[in-house]
Amino acid sequence: MSKQPSIRDQLENDAWRKHPKFAARWAGNRQTRHRRRPLRWEDRALLILSAVLLLLLIIRVETARAESPGDELWGLEFQGGGRTQRAVAVNTEMEVDVTGLIARIDVTQVFHNDGFSWAEAVYRFPLPDGSAVDRLRVEVGGRVIEGEIREKMEARRQYQQARNDGIVASLVEQKKANQFETRLANIPPGEDIRVSISFLGRVEFADGSFSLRIPMTFTPRWSPAGAISASSTRFTDVAESGDHFLTIAVDLRTGLDLASLESRYHDIDIHPTLQGYHLFLTDPDTRTDRVFELNWVPEFGSTPQSTLMTHDAGDAVYAMLMLAPPLAEAIDPQPREVVFIIDTSGSMEGTSIQQAKAALRQGLEFLGPEDRFNLIEFNSKTHLLFRESVPVYPAYLADAADYIDGLKANGGTVMAPALRAAMSLPEQDMLLRQIIFITDGSVGNEHELLLQIGDQLHQSRLFTVSIGSAPNAWFMSKAAEIGRGSHTRIGKLGDVEERMSSLWARIENPAIQNICVDWGMDAEFYPEVIPDLYAGNPLWLHARLPHEPREVTICGELEGRHWQSVSRELPGSGSDSIAMLWARSKVEALEDSRIFGIDPEAVRQHVLDLSLEFGLLTQYTSLVAVDRLPSRPVNSSLESGEIPSLLPAGSTTAAGFSQTATGWLAQLILSVVSLLIAAGMLFYLPSARSGSTRSPLASSTS
Amino acid sequence: MMKARHWLYAAVPLTAAFFSLCMVIGALWIPLKAELAQLLIDRSWRKSLAGVEDARPWPWADTMAAARLSAPRLGVHLIVLEGNSGRNLAFGPVFLDGTANGRDMVISGHRDTHFRYLESLRPGDRLGLTRPDGQYWYEVRDLEVVDSRYSELVIEPGIDRLSLVTCYPFDSPLTGGPLRYVVTAVPVKQPRSLSSG
Repeated sequence: MSKQPSIRDQLENDAWRKHPKFAARWAGNRQTRHRRRPLRWEDRALLILSAVLLLLLIIRVETARAESPGDELWGLEFQGGGRTQRAVAVNTEMEVDVTGLIARIDVTQVFHNDGFSWAEAVYRFPLPDGSAVDRLRVEVGGRVIEGEIREKMEARRQYQQARNDGIVASLVEQKKANQFETRLANIPPGEDIRVSISFLGRVEFADGSFSLRIPMTFTPRWSPAGAISASSTRFTDVAESGDHFLTIAVDLRTGLDLASLESRYHDIDIHPTLQGYHLFLTDPDTRTDRVFELNWVPEFGSTPQSTLMTHDAGDAVYAMLMLAPPLAEAIDPQPREVVFIIDTSGSMEGTSIQQAKAALRQGLEFLGPEDRFNLIEFNSKTHLLFRESVPVYPAYLADAADYIDGLKANGGTVMAPALRAAMSLPEQDMLLRQIIFITDGSVGNEHELLLQIGDQLHQSRLFTVSIGSAPNAWFMSKAAEIGRGSHTRIGKLGDVEERMSSLWARIENPAIQNICVDWGMDAEFYPEVIPDLYAGNPLWLHARLPHEPREVTICGELEGRHWQSVSRELPGSGSDSIAMLWARSKVEALEDSRIFGIDPEAVRQHVLDLSLEFGLLTQYTSLVAVDRLPSRPVNSSLESGEIPSLLPAGSTTAAGFSQTATGWLAQLILSVVSLLIAAGMLFYLPSARSGSTRSPLASSTS
Repeated sequence: MMKARHWLYAAVPLTAAFFSLCMVIGALWIPLKAELAQLLIDRSWRKSLAGVEDARPWPWADTMAAARLSAPRLGVHLIVLEGNSGRNLAFGPVFLDGTANGRDMVISGHRDTHFRYLESLRPGDRLGLTRPDGQYWYEVRDLEVVDSRYSELVIEPGIDRLSLVTCYPFDSPLTGGPLRYVVTAVPVKQPRSLSSG
């Protein structure tokens, strides 16, 4: 308000003073003058109201824009007061039990709620590819949440039931193939949270070397200063305090002597045991910031070796028998009869036929001087290059090369006659027959073909080579399994040489053929069809036996002669992984049995029973976490109502909910109201100006 | 002089009126856009079914129609888009990423535009879903309210199911609440009765 009165004010003041009727009041009460100059109370109210409305509108616009991008970190993420706060584990303990080609990995992590209030948190852990958490145990605030394997629909029903009962249920989930995530509610202030999960990791085996890779909870230091306000420091940032440790203990039961054993990114102490090795991290101050990778190379001897491990589960004894081949150099290559089958159907048109031809030419080059070979082409018709297999003479090779050059992809895919022709070729001086079957596998009658292979195979071995970008890989690998051979996949032209030479290296030294195993009692073992043993590739058999085996006799043919060996049990060798490995191989065999006409519903029931008995995560089961509170006082029910209780998970994926409201109606109502008020004010102001009774000046001059 | 002072007083309500008017238009634009986009996308969907290539609903559109969802009893037909983003949600219901071609499908939509009608769905209602690979029929089984803070959508690749998700409560003036309304429908062979295709 300006001190300098305007001309109008001066005129008015003069008028006030001069007017006899108001002169006295003017002298006694100056406030009346002020009532006129600023806004009247109605005006003020309107102004404040419209300012508030304006503010509201602006706030609305702002909140409508606010969206928080979520980045993913491993570890525990506390959530509260609209903020999230991450903590790394105070302690990470990892126990790894390697049996055969499977590693059972138990991880226990301890976190601490350093704050003064109850918290909710999200726990994340990275998993190796293809793994799924199948055991879970969370201890927090006196509660124990434990996971169990249940039938999928049953898990769903329980989850639903818990929700209907008013218990807030949440999900244990595997969002992505390589990530485990679960939500933890009601973490008491000052308490530790202990999360134990367990999963199976695959041991990779390639080129005579084993490797196991375990991703770690790598929690980068969440930092930007602005992101975390002073009040949110209530949770320990252990990354800052620096007192978190990683311990890893590996129990490696290889049953093999090792040529080398090393950890790629960590220093380890190695202690030999009866069945293998115990490994520990050397550095006690190791952090969880690196992948743990273990590589070991077995030492193959000059003779085949076998190792037997058992686990007594009470009602049955589970056994794992490993066969290790001798060194490749120790095996005399045996002459073979190699039959190539090539698919020249229309579906091979384009790059597929080029790859197939390249693979064939490579194959011819690998033939040894004492081998015999033949070539069969098929599309709608089957054509044999030679009536019976021929020796590797330059003339025959030249014929074959010409024939391969002239191959064109055309016509249908009728495989059965070609396979029959190959498997029923006249026998060649007891030579081992290896059939190299090159195709994209685009057939509709897989079932019949697999049956046919099983029927007609006799002493042949079938090696499938799948060609092209989208081969029928399932059929190709099953055909090789039934054909007691192996499956090779060639994806592009550049792969041909490498893949074919590795196939060749694998099959030119068959160490032991026609393996038979005498367990000394009735045994249920898998795989039921025992493949041959090739140089560099150990073999595992899993059996369920009524009682402890005294000795197991293995026989076969080594370099064309009968071979026999007796395997005795390694004392104290077995962990319960052996039982689970047996169950897994049985599940695989059961699922395959559907090919041979076993009722799918019966298979399902069988697999389900096995999964529940052995705690396996299969396509029919889920992990359900159940809140165990055996001695919870009745009056604490309010608290338990907030506990996530039943949680199905498994090989499913899960996702968050989208924000699915626009709020346009609320915005419309709000803005229309504010528009009306603003309009009302605009109309009100002119009327105030012309309202004659409001101004003493106006009344006095009229 | 007098006039100037009154205009000063009028400035605040005028500004308020201006902003309010903008907000009114902005608010009305949301349902208008939702309707208009559906019309255009429906047209492009028919075109692409008829084999027209590059049948984008509008020249600068970066979304494609993925399916047509209908509720014959309520006479509602909607085009469902691919890509679960707020931007696409403004144009129509969207498939949760990765579920558009699977067996377990999840469709989200705004509760106050396209998916307003979920409120009127009852168990037993038929839902039709036309995808480029054929027409599927579903029957509404479950209607439930879930708290998104404590639950997540579980997608099971082996289960045939259609879930429609929207915010809850339907009439709440506030947005961003944690509750969701989930309609679960299971496949059925044939539509029971059809008033319209």
